[in-house]
Amino acid sequence: MNLKTLKQRWYALTHKDKLEDELDEELRFHLEREIEQNLKNGMSPEEARYAAFRTFGSLDQSKEACRDARGVRMIENILQDVRYSLRLLVKNPAFTFVVVLTLALGIGANTAIFSFANGILLRPLPYPQSDRLAVLDETALKRGINSMGVSYPNFLDWREQNSVFTGIGVYFNDNRFSLSGVGEPIEVRGSRISHGLFEVLGVKPYLGRTFTATEDRPEEDAVLILGHRLWQNHFGADPGILGKKVVISQRPRTVVGVMPPGFRFPEVSEMWVPLALTTQTFTRTDHGLLATARLKNGISFAQAQAEMNNVAAHIETQNPITNEGLGVSVKSLHQDLSGNYREALLILLAVVACVLLVACVNVANLMLARLTARQKELALRSALGASRWRIIRQLLMESLILSVAGGVLGLALSIWALQLLLRAIPIELPFWMDFGLDLRVLSFTVLVTLLTAFLFGVAPALQTSRVDLNSTLKEGGRGAGATSSSRSRSLLVVTEIALSVVLLVGAGLMIKSFLRLRKVDVGLNPQRVLSFGVMLPRAKYTESEQRATFFKNLVERMRTLPGVEAASATATLPLSGNNWGRSLTVEEFPVLSVGQAPMIQHTVVTPGYFQTMGIRLLAGRDFTDSDARDAPKVTIIDERLAREYWPNASALGKRVRFGPPEDNEPWHTVIGVVNAVRHRRMQEDTSKSVYLPHAQIPVNRLTLVARSSFDPTNLVGAVRREVSQLDPDLPLSDVAAMEQVMAESIWQPRLYALLFAVFAGGALLLAVIGIYGVMAYLVITRTHEIGLRMALGATARDVFKLIVGRGMMLTTVGVLLGIGGALALTRLMRGLLFNISATDPATFILIPVLLVLAAFLACFIPARRATRVDPLVALRYE
Amino acid sequence: MKKQKADLLQGTLELLVLRLLSSGSLNGWDIMQRIQLISDEVLSVTPGALYPALHRLEQRGLISASWGPSENNRKAKFYQLTSTGRKQLEAQRRQWERFSGAVTMILRDA
Repeated sequence: MNLKTLKQRWYALTHKDKLEDELDEELRFHLEREIEQNLKNGMSPEEARYAAFRTFGSLDQSKEACRDARGVRMIENILQDVRYSLRLLVKNPAFTFVVVLTLALGIGANTAIFSFANGILLRPLPYPQSDRLAVLDETALKRGINSMGVSYPNFLDWREQNSVFTGIGVYFNDNRFSLSGVGEPIEVRGSRISHGLFEVLGVKPYLGRTFTATEDRPEEDAVLILGHRLWQNHFGADPGILGKKVVISQRPRTVVGVMPPGFRFPEVSEMWVPLALTTQTFTRTDHGLLATARLKNGISFAQAQAEMNNVAAHIETQNPITNEGLGVSVKSLHQDLSGNYREALLILLAVVACVLLVACVNVANLMLARLTARQKELALRSALGASRWRIIRQLLMESLILSVAGGVLGLALSIWALQLLLRAIPIELPFWMDFGLDLRVLSFTVLVTLLTAFLFGVAPALQTSRVDLNSTLKEGGRGAGATSSSRSRSLLVVTEIALSVVLLVGAGLMIKSFLRLRKVDVGLNPQRVLSFGVMLPRAKYTESEQRATFFKNLVERMRTLPGVEAASATATLPLSGNNWGRSLTVEEFPVLSVGQAPMIQHTVVTPGYFQTMGIRLLAGRDFTDSDARDAPKVTIIDERLAREYWPNASALGKRVRFGPPEDNEPWHTVIGVVNAVRHRRMQEDTSKSVYLPHAQIPVNRLTLVARSSFDPTNLVGAVRREVSQLDPDLPLSDVAAMEQVMAESIWQPRLYALLFAVFAGGALLLAVIGIYGVMAYLVITRTHEIGLRMALGATARDVFKLIVGRGMMLTTVGVLLGIGGALALTRLMRGLLFNISATDPATFILIPVLLVLAAFLACFIPARRATRVDPLVALRYE
Repeated sequence: MKKQKADLLQGTLELLVLRLLSSGSLNGWDIMQRIQLISDEVLSVTPGALYPALHRLEQRGLISASWGPSENNRKAKFYQLTSTGRKQLEAQRRQWERFSGAVTMILRDA
């Protein structure tokens, strides 16, 4: 079809009346000429007219044939259907409102969850050719470790020996730096990166340049790259920032570049300094670097993996002790980043799809009820010559209009719902997650909208159009169609109940699991505990003595604050995501090589930590101030570790040491045993912990904890004052109540439980409305029968039982099907459940009971109405 | 339908219309008269077939229409050949001649 034809058709559509007039005029001219000629041939005027008309055959048929020639017949019919449908829908505002709203909620929920999934799973990462980016990690599969972090010397060897990557960059995860000298000191999320990392990612700086190889060495690394937001907010977007000196953690560094807007890496960092490692400062036995590489064109992940296996084997033969059993894993960066969310997102997508299905069933139900009422109209149209296909098409057009309205409204709702959803996430999401509306989301919405129209529109349309014309017109619109439609409606309700049971059971499991998770005993008492981080810049607090004294003073000042019952500090606050793993060597037990030695949670604390956090001391004593730097090295271990090594004896007095065994760090004597704490995850944590006094391991960043006798957040102002009195340049970071820290550590299960509950609740509501609708309809269509029964002696009780019995029968069938479905489907969500079986009997009993009760209530009102039927009125009603 | 006269196939009707219009613009009535006249009343066409055919040709851009006064000074719709229509006429005529020549040859010689 070329442009000209399109133009003509457009003209035909928009100038229909003019074309009609012209057609009339043209044919009238012809007729008149014919009549004239007939008159000339000697016919009487009447004969002449008659003969002229006869040559035409049917004038209307000729006209129709001419209209067909315009080539827009189909579109005209559709437009006619649209107008007719719109008129009908406007005439029924209540029906239209309910349907559009139901669909909008269903489609909106689907679009919101899809946008969420799209931003994490589908949208490519914001780097050029991001599908070529890989994550490299070291593994020790023989020991069951599939992610141990990369060591610097191994990375250097990889870079030299591989031929599959265009480059490899390594970096440390997000870290905290203090930025001072310009206004208030602030803590900035930053990262130490190797040179070439940004080239691997393919991101060019917005201003200036990235790090050079020379700058990636100790002593030459006093340079810095700023993130765009930091540059704007803290440096007023100073265009002359390059070359200026900035004080980072109290060490001056020169700004050499500013990254483009929006860019943060690895997760939330917005400031970068050179890694500046050497093989002496970060040896082959130190792991913990992260690595990203870019595949060369034409190299697959499998090929890269194969090559890296060879490289790892080669390194192992050269370094048999340190690299024993170490391998390399090569994974897609996107899959690695999104892996944590994949399962939950897929399940959520399935859940919202179910909700939409329930919504469709409900709407189909409404459509059926409405069409039954409209049977007379449809029969009339068909009597006037509308083909069955034409009627179906018009009915489908109504569905399409409804679903498109629902889709548009749903899209708007989804934008709002997504905001709500994102606000329910308490952590700062990594920068690469982008939840904006894109073509994929729009296509999804369009597809869902069309599918929806089809789902709820086709069955009613087919059903109704099959109606027997004669009987319908005779019976005045009730009867023939009513029973078969009531059967389809019952079927729809059963479906709806079954789907709701599945969703509710799923939600029940999620909620129960979450409640159990929240109540789980993590081994400490988080109530009324405030926590906040303080980092001492190494440039200023060079001596370990200075650091120990600072924190000792700060803790003592905090203890004197009104309302503070206890205060202390730790290097790694439980459940905050800060962990410190080290290898353990136990005296009198075999010395294992670094790869084989067990890893323990290495926790540095100040005296009073256990008391402050509510951790019980099971044996021995707490640290005191006398466990100072020069005093004998001591440690407190947790009961798990004690039980493993000394199941039948006291652990007190035994000696352990940490780090690579060949380093021969000093022995620490066990002076106490405390109960185990879930340090990493509330869900499960079998790791073993040791505690060391800060005076003997004087790290420069501690999280301070204070137990208060009132709401701990009221302490914030007072502690801020105490810190600034000790050092006005120090910022506080991560200020939060311990209960909040714990709640945030389980934000994912909480969010999933919440979403499940919302969706299942919606499905339940829809199902109850569905049952109510069907029962109410049943009562109306059977008024006559009920009147007859009552006239023949049935009591109100019998009638009530009749109606409720029917409703309960449908409910029971639906519930049984639903339980079957739930048994089959909930096992898929096992990975999201904590401490609860996917076939938890209590949930599987409680939820169906709940649903049966709700269904009973839904049947109750129509049944009551049925008992009030007056036989006289009912029988006359015909 | 007048069975004793030859019915016109749709394609043939279009060819005839194009040919008639090649010598000047005509209205529907004229076209119908001329087909009957020139073919010695052998070929006839009903208005019910002619007008849809005209509208189709117009839709395809082979002919164009304009309103003007008829012989008896009444407003009538006149059709004329477009340049595409002229090309189409040439092509169709050649095709028709090849076709009818072949049929005639077979009828005579076979």
